[in-house]
Amino acid sequence: MKDIIFDFEYFVPKTVEEALKLLSQYEEGECKVIAGGQSLIILMKQKLLTPKYLIDIKGLSDLDYIKLDDKQGLRIGALATHRSIEKSPVTQNGFSVLAEMEQNISSVETRNWGTIGGNVCHGDPGGDPVPVLIALNAKLKMTSLSGERTIDVENFTLDYFETALRHDELLAEIQIPSIPPNTGVKFTKFSQIAGDYATASVAVLITLDKNEICDNVRIALGSVGTASTRAKKAEEILKGKKISDDLLAEAGKIASEEASPTTDAEVSEEYKRELVRVLVKRVGREALERAKKA
Amino acid sequence: MSEYSVIGKPTTNVDGAAKVTGEAVYTFDMTLPNMLYGRLLRSPHPHARIISIDTSEAEKLPGVKAVITGKDTPGGKYGLWRRFRELTDQEVLATTKVRFIGDPVAAVAAISEEISEKALDLINVEYEPLPAVFEPMEAIKDDAPVIHEDFPNNINNTRHIEWGNVDDAFKKADYVREDRFNLLSQHPAPMEVHSSVASYDKGSGRLTVWSSTQSPYFLQLGLADALKMREGNIRVIKPHVGGGFGNKNSTMPDSVNAAVLSMKTGRPVKIVFNREEEFTTTEHRTAMHLAIKIGLKKDGTIMAKEAKIITDGGAYTGLGATTLYLAGTYLTFPYKTPNYRYDGVRTYTNKMWASSVRSFGATPAVYASETQMDRAAHDLGIDPIEIRRKNAMTSGYEAPGQYKLESCGLLQCIDKVEERVKEKWTDLSKDEGVGITAFAYMCGGIFNWIDTPYAFSGAMVKINVDGTVDLFTQAADIGQGTNTVSVMICAEELGIGIEDIRLHPADTATTLTDLGAWASRETMMNGNAVKAAAGEAKKILIEVARIKLGENIVYDLEVKDKRIYLALRPERGFSYYDIVKDAIKRNDGEPIIGIGHYTPHGKGMVSPAFAFGSMGVRVKVDRETGQVEVKDIITAHDCGQIINPLGARGQVEGSIQLGLGWGLCEDLPTDNGMILNPSFVDYKLFRTRDMPQIELYDVPTYDPEGPYGAKESAEGTVAPTSPAVANAIYNAVGVEFDGNVLKPEKVLKALKEKEAQ
Amino acid sequence: MKKELKFVVNGESHDLWIEPKTLLVQVLRDELGLKGTKRACDSGACCSCAVILDGKVVKSCSMLALQANGKEVLTIEGLANGANLHPIQQAFIDNWAFQCGFCTSGQIMAAKALLDENANPTREEIQMAMDGHLCRCTGYNMITEAIQDAAKRLQEQKLQEAAQ
Repeated sequence: MKDIIFDFEYFVPKTVEEALKLLSQYEEGECKVIAGGQSLIILMKQKLLTPKYLIDIKGLSDLDYIKLDDKQGLRIGALATHRSIEKSPVTQNGFSVLAEMEQNISSVETRNWGTIGGNVCHGDPGGDPVPVLIALNAKLKMTSLSGERTIDVENFTLDYFETALRHDELLAEIQIPSIPPNTGVKFTKFSQIAGDYATASVAVLITLDKNEICDNVRIALGSVGTASTRAKKAEEILKGKKISDDLLAEAGKIASEEASPTTDAEVSEEYKRELVRVLVKRVGREALERAKKA
Repeated sequence: MSEYSVIGKPTTNVDGAAKVTGEAVYTFDMTLPNMLYGRLLRSPHPHARIISIDTSEAEKLPGVKAVITGKDTPGGKYGLWRRFRELTDQEVLATTKVRFIGDPVAAVAAISEEISEKALDLINVEYEPLPAVFEPMEAIKDDAPVIHEDFPNNINNTRHIEWGNVDDAFKKADYVREDRFNLLSQHPAPMEVHSSVASYDKGSGRLTVWSSTQSPYFLQLGLADALKMREGNIRVIKPHVGGGFGNKNSTMPDSVNAAVLSMKTGRPVKIVFNREEEFTTTEHRTAMHLAIKIGLKKDGTIMAKEAKIITDGGAYTGLGATTLYLAGTYLTFPYKTPNYRYDGVRTYTNKMWASSVRSFGATPAVYASETQMDRAAHDLGIDPIEIRRKNAMTSGYEAPGQYKLESCGLLQCIDKVEERVKEKWTDLSKDEGVGITAFAYMCGGIFNWIDTPYAFSGAMVKINVDGTVDLFTQAADIGQGTNTVSVMICAEELGIGIEDIRLHPADTATTLTDLGAWASRETMMNGNAVKAAAGEAKKILIEVARIKLGENIVYDLEVKDKRIYLALRPERGFSYYDIVKDAIKRNDGEPIIGIGHYTPHGKGMVSPAFAFGSMGVRVKVDRETGQVEVKDIITAHDCGQIINPLGARGQVEGSIQLGLGWGLCEDLPTDNGMILNPSFVDYKLFRTRDMPQIELYDVPTYDPEGPYGAKESAEGTVAPTSPAVANAIYNAVGVEFDGNVLKPEKVLKALKEKEAQ
Repeated sequence: MKKELKFVVNGESHDLWIEPKTLLVQVLRDELGLKGTKRACDSGACCSCAVILDGKVVKSCSMLALQANGKEVLTIEGLANGANLHPIQQAFIDNWAFQCGFCTSGQIMAAKALLDENANPTREEIQMAMDGHLCRCTGYNMITEAIQDAAKRLQEQKLQEAAQ
């Protein structure tokens, strides 16, 4: 079977600062950070990534937390495992869309060791967390020796396996604002095999005003482009209106045109667009129902 | 017939404790002292001449102990179709040219797998790429590149089966239809990859090979041919095997190269494929183009069938030639077909070769036949169950020159499925549908392409003075539960308990030949051999008991519950243990030995018996995504007398997972001969959340050919699964397909095309 | 350059020096000779290599061994109590929940982790917990039944122990 057959220097920093110091010492491309390694180790076995230096931050417990602040919202440390987010009463009760999304990522085994930060920083356009975070209007806090900065999630993932994270930075925290009242959020991914990588995925957030008019809507698409994006034109179809099935259908159609999927060995570009059309319509409806109940 | 003590009772696996504790040793796990690790260098080209190979740099790498190329091998060619020497077309390492991406050209043995792997990068091969051909229809054209010089049209094998007068019958038929299908491959994907350990004994010049194999004997022959050694100087031992499903019948490069490297280095050598190699360089299911024409009376009675198949054989033969024959055979099952004609062609193409995979040609054949049957039923306005019932094979049916049925419970199976389907699936919601199919499957093949002089299965029983029994069988348990079946049959025949028997399986040096685990032959053939061997030992015990009783020879004695007694007066008898002691005393101190064997005789060309069954599948189709959810399955099977109901159920459920995969999601797309999805991430298989629950009904019959009347179970259930799904999809949303891998996109496309009409 | 790995496996302490590139599954199988944990793929997609690490089931092929430093690992070899099979192991035998057995170690370890966390899982909860495990032999349903049976046995065992 495939093992990692190239050698590398291995560091286990005891603090975030130590990790940042190490990161800043090495050239871009020479050095890689490993947390859960659920994606990285596979790439290393395939020799697709062969870092000379590996910085293991898995043990930095300072970055492993899930905290709820009444005003500021949910704060998830980058090293929180998928499983801890899935099981946390904090997410389950207030941000259930996150728990639902996490529950369908890969396997319990992967979720027990893999981290949300690792997933987001991997920049896989097929990943599940990013579209959900985009729908939730989340921000990412990054830290380096020169300080911290925070950007919107949708500006973080740029291209296939490329993010805005600089080579001397660590992702520290995911910040999810409190969910306003009368808001519903839903995420669904489509795959032929249950729980598999998404062929296409959609996350929708809808906030209604007291007359059930759509006050705010965010539609995020996953797996149908080089990065997860918002379907802003589709959002415009729904915003400020009383959402009907017809409107949702139209939003789906527009979203399918906004997506930029590619044909792969398994599935064609046209089919992925079709999935976007159907999923936006269905997920939008479910988000709407949740908003009404909220 | 008295009730059985052991047969037919749910019995746990004799290897159970070993497997649940991690103690069961697979070839994958083996280490021997001083062992080296081997890796193979493989061709990146689908078709190329080898101009030169420079191994000098690789040889210098510290830790490398040997590097070999074709010229370092004994030069023997091998393959399973040994009676037809032109079809034994495999080489240990390619000598003059490579014929598929992955064809091995060199092998390295080193002190670690990592060093071997690194050494591969240091081997320099100069290739002259040749034009390649990937499609059977292209391969047989006159201008196609020639893959094997002895086969100028790239036709590896042809098959013709015929009985009755097909042309006449079609003229007389009320309804004739022809359907064409393009049926795709599937990878068996056993969980244990191909693994072999070879150890050459310098003193005797003999070789021992442990391998993850479905047939120690086939491997012994393959090694003997490849290495130009006497078979008897090669000992093959099969440890526990982590699945085969058809791709571990052939002798493969892991074993032969481990052997040559061991002979060269004088040390044991282990070769294990990684999962990518397992997907790209081990045998998979035969893909084929299939045209099938059927002629019926207007009441649905089959009058004639004609079929043509061209299979995508890949670069070598394997068991692909047998698949060609069996596909043609299964097209006639399970219906009375008075007139039949089949022509099959197997072509060479520049891809990894296709061979046998569980159900051995039945899967594509039954898909074509059973979906066509439904279409014919719709056209004629006949209920799909009724049309099957009308044509169902029955006991005594004969396909002239091919096969004859003894036991046949097909009608009862169809009845049972119909009854249960009508009872259970009364509440079909929108876009849900039901599909019904019927099937049959062989109990081992009456084939001797392997060219053996031996009985197809042999077994030996040794009863020790304390009543414990050593049972020797070469039958290959690869997970299907053959070890347990062997012990159960021996226990039943001797009237003792499973706990009294120790099995010594699958070692060519110490057991009598068995041809291996393929075409569902072990219960029938090995089972008969075990029963015969135990029967011989039983005869000795019975004679001793008879003498002690002083009874007239006309009175029968029986064995049961560790006693040997008069059938008519059961209280008159002895304990098994006492008789055993006595028998050994009376035989000059020799333990009681019984030897038995089985070879089918006078049973036609195909198989000594056939199992039958029917299946109903309920699906729900999502019209907007094309996703097909398999919600429920009901199946009934006639396996004669089931030996172990636990094992039979397990096998049926597993075979359905494979069948559903072939039908819905398992796909091996290639691009210029390169398989595009060689990992479990990209090759999609059903997992636990995807599997429906399965209701299984046993329709017991008794086949005189089988041990205690037993027949096969659960290789047959692979084939009817996907046509039942396809028929159910038609029932739900009215779309038809000309092939398998009904992925959501394909289903959606069919739905949209229908809407457009 | 080798680094020190100090960890506990099946209750026994080990102190090894290994190359950082070594995967946990390599240490378990090749260094410690615990071959019960299997490998069946190279992309972390089959869970044949599942072991329990500090109470959580993980894929030992997808971790550097050094990440287990200071931790406790339980493998299939650590389940039985001497010569007495664990109730989950017995349930697997009694329910014919394996055939070739190659995926079985991983399945049993995941089942143990599940039942440690959720003593009475529903069928759906079992399937969600076991979905990472590939099996080519069983069609999965008999594994689910074995786990349901194991849950019952463990509960009975608890009641018996409480009664004593």
